[in-house]
Amino acid sequence: MRLNDLMRVSVRQVIRHRRRYMGVVLAIALGVAGFLNIVTMSREVKQNFNENLELIGGVNVIKVYFDKARSYQPQWFHQQTRAAFAHLPGVKTLTVTTAGYAHTDWKGQNYDFTAVAVDGAFWQVRNFWALTGRLFGYSAVTGRKRECVLGAELARKIFGTTDITGRTLQIDRDLFRVSGVLGGVTDSALANSAFFPITTAQDRISGDLLPDHLYLRCKTWDDVAKVAAEIPAIVKAHQSPEQLRVEVAWEALKRVQMLAWWIEFLIYLAISATFLLGGVGIWNVMMAAVTSRTREIGLKKAMGAEDRDIMAQFLSEAFCLSGVAALLGAGVGRIVMEILSYVIGCRPPEDLFFLGLALAFLFAVVIGVGAGLYPSLRASRMEVVTAIRYE
Amino acid sequence: MNESDISSQGNGTLIKVTDLCKTYDNGLELIHVLRDINLRVNPGEIVAVMGPSGSGKSTLLFILGIFLLPSSGSYFLGGEDVLRLDRNAQAEFRRNRVGFVFQSCDLLENSTVYENLEFPLIYAGVDRRDRPERISSALERVNLSHRMHHSSNRLSGGERQRVAVARALVNQPQVILADEPTGQLDRSHAHLVMDHFDEIVNDGKTSLVVVTHDPEIGARCTRTCLIRDGVLYDQ
Repeated sequence: MRLNDLMRVSVRQVIRHRRRYMGVVLAIALGVAGFLNIVTMSREVKQNFNENLELIGGVNVIKVYFDKARSYQPQWFHQQTRAAFAHLPGVKTLTVTTAGYAHTDWKGQNYDFTAVAVDGAFWQVRNFWALTGRLFGYSAVTGRKRECVLGAELARKIFGTTDITGRTLQIDRDLFRVSGVLGGVTDSALANSAFFPITTAQDRISGDLLPDHLYLRCKTWDDVAKVAAEIPAIVKAHQSPEQLRVEVAWEALKRVQMLAWWIEFLIYLAISATFLLGGVGIWNVMMAAVTSRTREIGLKKAMGAEDRDIMAQFLSEAFCLSGVAALLGAGVGRIVMEILSYVIGCRPPEDLFFLGLALAFLFAVVIGVGAGLYPSLRASRMEVVTAIRYE
Repeated sequence: MNESDISSQGNGTLIKVTDLCKTYDNGLELIHVLRDINLRVNPGEIVAVMGPSGSGKSTLLFILGIFLLPSSGSYFLGGEDVLRLDRNAQAEFRRNRVGFVFQSCDLLENSTVYENLEFPLIYAGVDRRDRPERISSALERVNLSHRMHHSSNRLSGGERQRVAVARALVNQPQVILADEPTGQLDRSHAHLVMDHFDEIVNDGKTSLVVVTHDPEIGARCTRTCLIRDGVLYDQ
């Protein structure tokens, strides 16, 4: 039997018995769509998940600093070191900070607090947001503007409220405009601090405010360990690593990784179960088809079909079923992918989609043909007389 | 080609069955369905095999189509020892040398008349471009050309049986084996089918073996054989 005849006959059979096959096709299509989205969107979803998990513990932020207390001479992150960190694979953004002490007088009261000098990326890396007002950006840093952001606790202490945007405060000897109050902070030390553009702080806040703290935000939590391991060598390549400290929230990271692993595992389990159900469905449907088409098999053998012709026909029907299901699943998968991309706000690489598509087709066809193998073998081995006399 | 092949061809016999037996063992006893059957069919002959139910008529026909193998004996068709064929060669024999018409006018359901006739051609490896002509020609012989693209489910009993005859003819076999081909037809349709059989054997190359209960059908055949308790009596 020629291949084109085989495919034509099989496609015709599948179309004519489409109602019988619909459930199986849908099961496999769902599996394919799910698989396709796992392959294509998993990195984007993980990144998005990462950012959301920041609220829980900032597990993919690495804190790197020079321990001042143990150092005989001031240490800070040089420009080349920072540039090297920024180019490290797995690093999404980084920020440098330093801290000193400052004081202010308000209505006759004297307040001492920590002055944290930050760059424009600080808020994004640490995932902080404005409780009121706004957080100053890169322009304030490059323009050395006299702006500050107050921690919520400090704002309440001084003003009795957090609604203080636009007020002016004398800090040390200079007047600063309060641009906003910091939100998203669970650390009470930060809630009692004031934040300044690092350039302004270096000019106007007393003390040597050298950028001795650095925070690296990794792309995913899977990058954290790799990046953390490379940090000492990178520092050493550009400056003295003496008293360098690297802090990672290992415990939280492990928990998050475990959580993500379980979620991924359960999703794959669900998809495998769907594929398996599809496979069992094909097996079942093909077995039923072999039984209900026993006379047809007998007739075809009487017309001169060889065992392999009968086997090829049932196998190619199973192949067509899974092929149709894979096509349908690819369509549904693409739609879901587009929706997810829109919701998450990212675009997965197109070649990843095609890789997923190829894998999904392969799985679907292997499952379809695998499940159709035994029924096809049974059909092909049927004796002509038994098949013709079957009622 | 061995001696027997040459002899069977030499005397013009198309089918030569010698001392053919078919025995089943049901675990308690041996059931002799066919006993020492000897049969010769010449080209252009229509041989009727008649007999009561359970006498072994269909079993003989199935052996002639190699749907069943005999327990002993020999069977030559056109000088070829058919019983020595392996499974694939048996399939090749069925698709190229015999055509079968079943009692219950078995057509492939949910298929058109064209598709029903196309399958034997597909299995015989006939080029797709040559098929329409072959199918059309076979349908013309049973006066059903106008039904070529109709669904087999929508045909009358008589038409279905004629399609089955056309399907048996489409590969231009040497022998057509028909198992009660008129069993489910009324008198007029039964005679119509027999008319077609007459036309088919008129070429002098094709033979027909027809199993039937109907004496009227038997009377229209060239020769009638009676089978009773597995023994064949050539009348």
